[in-house]
Amino acid sequence: MIEFHQVSKSFNGQKILFDIDHSFEKGKVNLIIGQSGQGKSVLAKCLVGLYEPDTGEVFYDKRNFTGMDRAARSEIRQEIGMLFQGSALFDSMTVEQNVKFPLQMFTKMTKAEIQHRVDYCLERVNLDGSNNLLPSECSGGMQKRVGIARAIAMRPRYLFCDEPNSGLDPKTAIVIDNLINDITKEFDITTVVITHDMNSVMEIGDEILFIHEGKKWWTGNRHSIINADNPEIESFVYASSFMKEIREKLQKKT
Amino acid sequence: MLGVVFSRPNRWRFYWKQSLIEIEQIGINSLPIVALMSAFMGAVIALQTASSMESPLLPEYTVGYITQSSTILEFSPTIISLILAGKVGSNVASEIGTMRVTEQIDALEIMGVNSLNFLVLPKITAALVFFPVLVVFSMALSMFGGWLALLFSDLTTTEIYILGIRSFFNPFHITYALSKTLIFGFLIVSIASFYGYYVKGGSLDVGKASTQAVVTSSVAILIANFILTQLMLLS
Repeated sequence: MIEFHQVSKSFNGQKILFDIDHSFEKGKVNLIIGQSGQGKSVLAKCLVGLYEPDTGEVFYDKRNFTGMDRAARSEIRQEIGMLFQGSALFDSMTVEQNVKFPLQMFTKMTKAEIQHRVDYCLERVNLDGSNNLLPSECSGGMQKRVGIARAIAMRPRYLFCDEPNSGLDPKTAIVIDNLINDITKEFDITTVVITHDMNSVMEIGDEILFIHEGKKWWTGNRHSIINADNPEIESFVYASSFMKEIREKLQKKT
Repeated sequence: MLGVVFSRPNRWRFYWKQSLIEIEQIGINSLPIVALMSAFMGAVIALQTASSMESPLLPEYTVGYITQSSTILEFSPTIISLILAGKVGSNVASEIGTMRVTEQIDALEIMGVNSLNFLVLPKITAALVFFPVLVVFSMALSMFGGWLALLFSDLTTTEIYILGIRSFFNPFHITYALSKTLIFGFLIVSIASFYGYYVKGGSLDVGKASTQAVVTSSVAILIANFILTQLMLLS
């Protein structure tokens, strides 16, 4: 479980996050949603320590991450996997070397054990046989899957995914969503997904935190968001013509 | 920044492996440009000195002596370092800068890797290990270039040129040149790494950071050269 209290963050005197409290549950896909520029990514970066929050504390299973020094944080970070928006694969390394990297850096596994783990992770994301490709030789969807394989290589307890579907076609986006969902349930980890894609919300949103103007605006799940009685959420959920059509059909039914 | 760079690496094996890769990238790959510059500059120094020696009071071996002293004292350590500031500095700044804007550095940090240490320390090590090698190589090639130029233009004989090269040789000048090289190498890599690591924005900003890194490290080399000359040769 990840809990955080009173997290706020400013850049150049402009406040981006306003005293946010929340907790993300284990074994569930927790979504942080909201329109662009509302502070979703800043919140996620504060949670993983890429940004230092101005105020507030972040706890990973009751361990106060904010109060830790660099060495102690490094221990916790080895329990965190992260899938970045642009995949952030090391472009000088092959797919296999990318997945191997954290294992070689932080574990005392033998070469054979590492190879076995790498093969398992690549197979888990349906990329067996792509070991020797360079990231530049992979499609966007493949790069995301390599990113997921690298993120789960260390058997993380927490998985962060920043806009996992950006730049992907709808079909590949659903494959990635389902993969994140399956991995979360299979390994019983705490997953946090930052997204503004309504398809993802409806597909995998076990728990949802809606951020608006840097504040915690609403919490719920993929079922309750459809009927949320809030103008900001309504304009977010029903922004597309497709969703508007669905709403009209639902209203006609009732 | 430097405090974090010089902390203990997460894995020594990775550090040595990365250092060898960097020695190849920023050291061995610079050999062709250093060789080309050194041979031609040595040739030009020798020819210019020979052409301006009109006084019969000056011994013939002066050409070799001036080629030797200007090469060891200034040309090889300083001019080659300025060239390396352009080649290596822009390379380091753009490599680290690209890693920053594509979130590769964030990925390292999330894994628990000390990214500054992992990326910058092997580059500094490579510069400190291999820049002196490049400068000694440049000294030798420069004097060789001077000899070839004089030989083909029939301005002096090999014996007289070698006599000049060996005349008034002060071993401390080598110490001075290599000390300068170590400091210049450190300045080039650390300044370029700084600009690359802290770049914000996109590819345009990486380009700007790369240019700034080259300009700043070149100015730093010139200032350090002046200070080191004062400290080591005149005090």
